[in-house]
Amino acid sequence: MAKKSFRQALNDALHAEMARDPRVIMMGEDLTGGAGANGVKDAWGGPFGVTRGLLGAFGPERVRDTPISEAAFIGAAAGAALTGLRPIAEIMFVDFAGVCLDQIMNQAAKFRYMFGGRAKTPLVIRATYGAGSRSGSQHTQALHSLFTHIPGLKVVIPSNPYDAKGLLLQAIRDDDPVIFLEHKMLYDTVGEVPDASYTIPFGEARVVRDGKDVAIIAIGRMVGVAEEAARSLASEGISACVLDPRTTSPLDEDTLLEVTEKIGRVVIVDEANPRCSVATDISALLADQCFDALKAPIKLVTAPHSPVPYAPNLEDAYIPTPAAVMKAVKSIVKR
Amino acid sequence: MSLIEAVTIPKWGMTMTEGKITQWMISEGGAVARGQEILEIETTKVTNVLEAASSGTLRRIVLNEGTTAPVGALAGVIADESATQEEIDAFIQSYADRLGSGEDGEAGSPAARSVAVEGGSVNLLEAGEAGEDVVVFLHGFGGDLTTWLFNQPALAETMRTIAVDLPGHGASSPVAGGDILAKIVSSVEEAIRPLAPGKIHLVAHSFGGAVAAAMAARQPARVGSLTLIAPIGLSKQMNRDFLVDFVAAERRRPLLAVLERLFADPSKITNDMVEGTLRFKRLEGVPEALGAIADTIANESGQSQSIGKTLAELACPITLIWGEEDQIVPVPQDKEIPANVEIRKIKGVGHMPQMEAAATVNDAINSNINKRH
Repeated sequence: MAKKSFRQALNDALHAEMARDPRVIMMGEDLTGGAGANGVKDAWGGPFGVTRGLLGAFGPERVRDTPISEAAFIGAAAGAALTGLRPIAEIMFVDFAGVCLDQIMNQAAKFRYMFGGRAKTPLVIRATYGAGSRSGSQHTQALHSLFTHIPGLKVVIPSNPYDAKGLLLQAIRDDDPVIFLEHKMLYDTVGEVPDASYTIPFGEARVVRDGKDVAIIAIGRMVGVAEEAARSLASEGISACVLDPRTTSPLDEDTLLEVTEKIGRVVIVDEANPRCSVATDISALLADQCFDALKAPIKLVTAPHSPVPYAPNLEDAYIPTPAAVMKAVKSIVKR
Repeated sequence: MSLIEAVTIPKWGMTMTEGKITQWMISEGGAVARGQEILEIETTKVTNVLEAASSGTLRRIVLNEGTTAPVGALAGVIADESATQEEIDAFIQSYADRLGSGEDGEAGSPAARSVAVEGGSVNLLEAGEAGEDVVVFLHGFGGDLTTWLFNQPALAETMRTIAVDLPGHGASSPVAGGDILAKIVSSVEEAIRPLAPGKIHLVAHSFGGAVAAAMAARQPARVGSLTLIAPIGLSKQMNRDFLVDFVAAERRRPLLAVLERLFADPSKITNDMVEGTLRFKRLEGVPEALGAIADTIANESGQSQSIGKTLAELACPITLIWGEEDQIVPVPQDKEIPANVEIRKIKGVGHMPQMEAAATVNDAINSNINKRH
């Protein structure tokens, strides 16, 4: 099986599904990247190269570069979905969702409900998120908590290339609006990805690593951080189970509850800011339903309640690290 | 001079490069008898137990539970009481030096490769000494060549071996439509002919047993022996629910519940085995292909295949190996077993003897291959 990058896995999924289903269209800023110096279109495939080659394969009617106007094109995408197309719209940095929040929150998320089930909105909004690239406060936020809060939206956060392809294919085939969040620091990570198409169901967590002393629940890029912490903990005799929910909405509550019941000690690692977050949401769920099985408080390892800093050393201090995870684990494990 | 023995990470499976220590079954300072189970190790397929190669005391645990280490790494030290701490320390140090010097032991494990056949490709893994006769491993429904993780390396010590991913499984392309079993048999024969032109010894599990029986029926002179592990086709009874549920399970928990029925001891199933099976089943076309194969195995009234007559007409040595607690394909009654076929039943084992009692199964395979008529 070939090893592919996260970026290539996404590109595979987009190619495969656009070929399979003529209703799939794409729109966003610089999806093709404009003309190169020699006038060649589709030279860039977006600032992260994810959409390279799609214009050439499917043409300008199906792959559209838009003006810098999220309100307009996200609204257009929501409307296109209502008419029977299956649009994949891209918000270049999830931080720009502020510009089109009405289109997402009040329109797309609520169409099915408000139209009595007689409308469906098979819209995918892809967006990059996350800190680590020295891009400043307005290009590095992790806003999955906002979207998870809104009923009617599905929220998907792949942590590795294999999941990225399967979850994106699932998202495009899903008839509801899906917010598909891609951590910009994961694009170059590599893993085994089948050439064939495959889907991964939503609301299905992955047990990344089995363990019996503590359960570490991690989101997106933090799954890698948790894995690294687990490896170091193992050499100190602490066996950590690592869980990747993959989708925060719907959330695989069954697996999270089952593992918490069995192990009784939980650490949640989430890059988002700590107030009203997915981390606190999961924590409340576990505290309510597994109270008697818990042997220690649920520990949350998150960013601080602060915008993402621009100075490199401060940005690095902002992002949760394996050391921070290990510290939290040791504070609740007896050894 | 005291005798000091190394406990090292074993090599199970041709492509295994590392193992994870899940449990030490004795503590440091505990007595050890030769053959006693001392260390539980997790591989990508199952968790299995390492037995002590000598008696003594477990003087030092070098690698803790939860550690993953390369094949050959020193996990612990067994020695008798007369060995001093200094001697143990020196032994551990010399081991580290030996590994560090680049003497890896196994440079370059064999890799599986795809061979083209009509209509697609068959993935297979070859291992073992060059020789005339070749052992061909055929896995069962929903499995792949890694089923033989604990068997192929053992057989490869003395013979040439080929483990095959059946069409529609592992990395082999699927066959569709018509007589699925016949198409699978053709693809396998086409794939192995250039690699094994002479006599072949077939070792097959479950559905693979029907494939093996069909191959033997088509070319009886070519087949040197048949070792069938819990094959389909001998009795009418079969747990068809297993097939249906296996194909239907799309999520981890339901699939785990299905896989647990395969083993007498379900704790042997690792997370990686479940995840690996899920990844295989998710691929486009796989559920349909598996469903088609399931239909050739059994219908509402029981098993559809029948290999008893084929076996009765073969001249080569035939041995059946069966776990007494097999919940999927129950042990056939004596009257359902042809007179020329031997059966070895194993206590405390389910539908996967090749994994659950690998040493016993490897012995039985070797015995069968070496029988002379």
